[in-house]
Amino acid sequence: MSVLSIRDLRKHFVLHNVGGRRVDALHGIDLDVEAGEHVALAGSSGAGKSTLLKCVYRTDLPTAGTVIVDTDDGPVDVTALADADLVTLRGRAFGYVSQFLRAEPRRGALEIVARAGQARGMDRDEALDAAASALGRLGIDESLWDVYASVLSGGEKQRVNLAAGTISPPRLLLLDEPVSALDPSNRDAALDLIADLTDQGVAVLGVFHDLDAMRRLASRVVLMRDGRIDRVGPPDVVLDELTGVAR
Amino acid sequence: MTLVHDDELDTATPAVAAMPESTVASSLTPPEPEPVGILDEHAKREVRRAMLSAVCIPGYQVPFGSREMPVARGWGSGGLQITLALVGADDVVKVIDQGDDEGVNAVNLRRLITDTTGAEETTEVDEATVIQTRHRIPEDEPTDDQVLVLQVPVPEPLRGVERDMMELARMHAEADYARMWVSLYEDVVRNGVITKSTGYPCLVGGRYVMATTPIPRWDVPRLHQSPFLSLFGAGRERRIYAVPPLTDVEPLTFDDIPFEVERTEGATCSLCGATEAYLVEVPASRPGGEGRWTCSDTAWCRRRREQNAEEAS
Amino acid sequence: MISTERQVVLEVRGLGKLFGDQDPGAVVRTGPELGTAKDPQGNTVVAAWDVDFEVAAGEAFGVIGESGSGKSTVMRMIAGDVTASAGTVRLRKRDRSRVDLLGLTPSERRALRIDELSIVHQDPADGLDLRVTAGGNIADPLTAAGWRNFGQIRERAAELLTRTEVPLDRMDDLVKTFSGGMKQRVQLARALANNPPLVLFDEPTTGLDASVAAGVLDLIRDLIESLGIAAVVVSHDFAVIEMLTSRCMVMQHGRMVEQGVTDQLLEDPIAPYTQRLVAAARA
Repeated sequence: MSVLSIRDLRKHFVLHNVGGRRVDALHGIDLDVEAGEHVALAGSSGAGKSTLLKCVYRTDLPTAGTVIVDTDDGPVDVTALADADLVTLRGRAFGYVSQFLRAEPRRGALEIVARAGQARGMDRDEALDAAASALGRLGIDESLWDVYASVLSGGEKQRVNLAAGTISPPRLLLLDEPVSALDPSNRDAALDLIADLTDQGVAVLGVFHDLDAMRRLASRVVLMRDGRIDRVGPPDVVLDELTGVAR
Repeated sequence: MTLVHDDELDTATPAVAAMPESTVASSLTPPEPEPVGILDEHAKREVRRAMLSAVCIPGYQVPFGSREMPVARGWGSGGLQITLALVGADDVVKVIDQGDDEGVNAVNLRRLITDTTGAEETTEVDEATVIQTRHRIPEDEPTDDQVLVLQVPVPEPLRGVERDMMELARMHAEADYARMWVSLYEDVVRNGVITKSTGYPCLVGGRYVMATTPIPRWDVPRLHQSPFLSLFGAGRERRIYAVPPLTDVEPLTFDDIPFEVERTEGATCSLCGATEAYLVEVPASRPGGEGRWTCSDTAWCRRRREQNAEEAS
Repeated sequence: MISTERQVVLEVRGLGKLFGDQDPGAVVRTGPELGTAKDPQGNTVVAAWDVDFEVAAGEAFGVIGESGSGKSTVMRMIAGDVTASAGTVRLRKRDRSRVDLLGLTPSERRALRIDELSIVHQDPADGLDLRVTAGGNIADPLTAAGWRNFGQIRERAAELLTRTEVPLDRMDDLVKTFSGGMKQRVQLARALANNPPLVLFDEPTTGLDASVAAGVLDLIRDLIESLGIAAVVVSHDFAVIEMLTSRCMVMQHGRMVEQGVTDQLLEDPIAPYTQRLVAAARA
């Protein structure tokens, strides 16, 4: 079975602070992501890409539909999961990498990444080793490993996020603009890392604005518009249509 | 007081008014008076009840209605009330103050007791039935048919760490002595040792923490499993507590900081030569001169001197 | 599935407190929909009602609300400082037995505070004896739990002070000479002395300067994660809740308005009141 099965996922927001205005973000999404597959979500801003990702992670609470994740203990409907179980599931089976470093305590990058590994079941030494190699691979200099992460640059923070989200490869990796703040060479290293994960069997659902990144990584591109899936296909087909490039 | 029957009268009745004046006068004459007590029977009963409660709950401070005594508060009125409630004409009382039978306070108390109860007095421990003391347990250990009565100024061992009465009651009731332990910890941190000299807190019968005031540390180990009954009276604070015979009395201390008694290296009594007794320092009689040591227990010291003299001759 | 591995340490069900006349009828006349916790028909105040949540070992649960929300009352009922009017508060003790805290005598409650449940107060003076040294404040719960070896007490106190980043050369200083942030760290060390399974944090950094607060929050988060304690964090400050907790609930006028995973409550608040609170915090 698919690692991720989304069925008829709907999400609307009711903004009580502006008189109860309703915003419909997702109108019934059906999507599967298999192990070893990289599905890229494309589309203009407001299409619902980030919302979809957040609904899978349940940072946004789906209004209707199901999000089934295949875990080591069997399939789990994220929308129906008890809060405490969701917290555990996230630590164990999900990787979530966004542009932003969540309010982090004064910890060094190595520690942040190692702890993520430990949450996934690694023991301390294993986690430290894996963290060191992940950071090295993403070009974070060793001199920065013990510095409080809050003083790192945007690009450095993003790479730390990526390392933390991908250490001990999770079953499902959710990426929300993971390389937007990186300069070309760091971006390449990051994309390589992500590509390797797919090779290792991780199911990846990613949001990129970067067409090149999508072309490089995605096995399928899902084009979204106004909260619906418009088009699904191989990257070159969908993206060429998007950009109007004839091949 | 009893009415004396005149031989010519059958009964002591109102008919006495009809009798000749000389017989009325003799029938109204009181007999040789018995000693006038300071404590009436009600007061004695209350003190005895408090003592019984105290003996039943070793180390627990029993409140009692402390009476006005012809002794200033803080000068042994509590101990005095216990002794007065205990003794009668058959008793022999020894009273010491700082170990000395001849201290002013000891002399006054002893006179007061013997005058008002008909009890005998002594300076020898083995002759006494009740020993009242302000500061020492006599070097000759009391036996199982003697009672030690101690005068206590401050009965509450937790006084240094808590003032509120309700809270104190709760702490004793719940055996919550953490604040006491913290103050011992702080003492060791500040001074390297536990510095309490008198009134050393002890755990009695494994349950209540008790103040051993007024005796010095030297005498504290002697309460543990003692053959004699110790009664503690605090008149001003209105509390009586007790250590029954053969009760565990353990000075509070940390496992790795043994309880130590006062000891001055090389000090001996200049009168009898004792080294293993509680010694007090007598200041030099002239400025620049040296002080000397003498036994705190004067009666014991005197007997030793008498023995030394006998052996010498 | 995953639940079997969770060890629930604290289970709160139907917890409620009525002040004043304590008229149970006041419950239907008060609440968020009615905009008040005070009974319009009398002087009963429904300070808290129908509060339900649970916390497992290694989890931190947040309680957010403005003043008057009932969050402090909930904390005090769990702590035992206020007698509850309704509900149960089940604690899983170190020996794995479960006890309803509300059925215990004050004396039994006090005994629990030695090594089963600790509280870190907003004002460190409420959780410390300022006239005693830092080490002495830690010796307190240790001796209450039966520690009698001075050397071992010192060692454990030093260990805890190091863990809470208090300089060891201040271990023998009176706590009243410490800064606010340092006092809070000593309070933390003391609260953890006997490894309690449950620790309550009541506005742990309110009143501290921002930079000092950040350090203390870091420390608390670190301790919660590494010691595997169950924590309840009460605060009016979303930043604190976000930093420290994985799940939380919002209270208003004595009732639970919303409960969920912390980042979801902040990112996608559903209840109107929660949205207002989050918007105000983000502003």
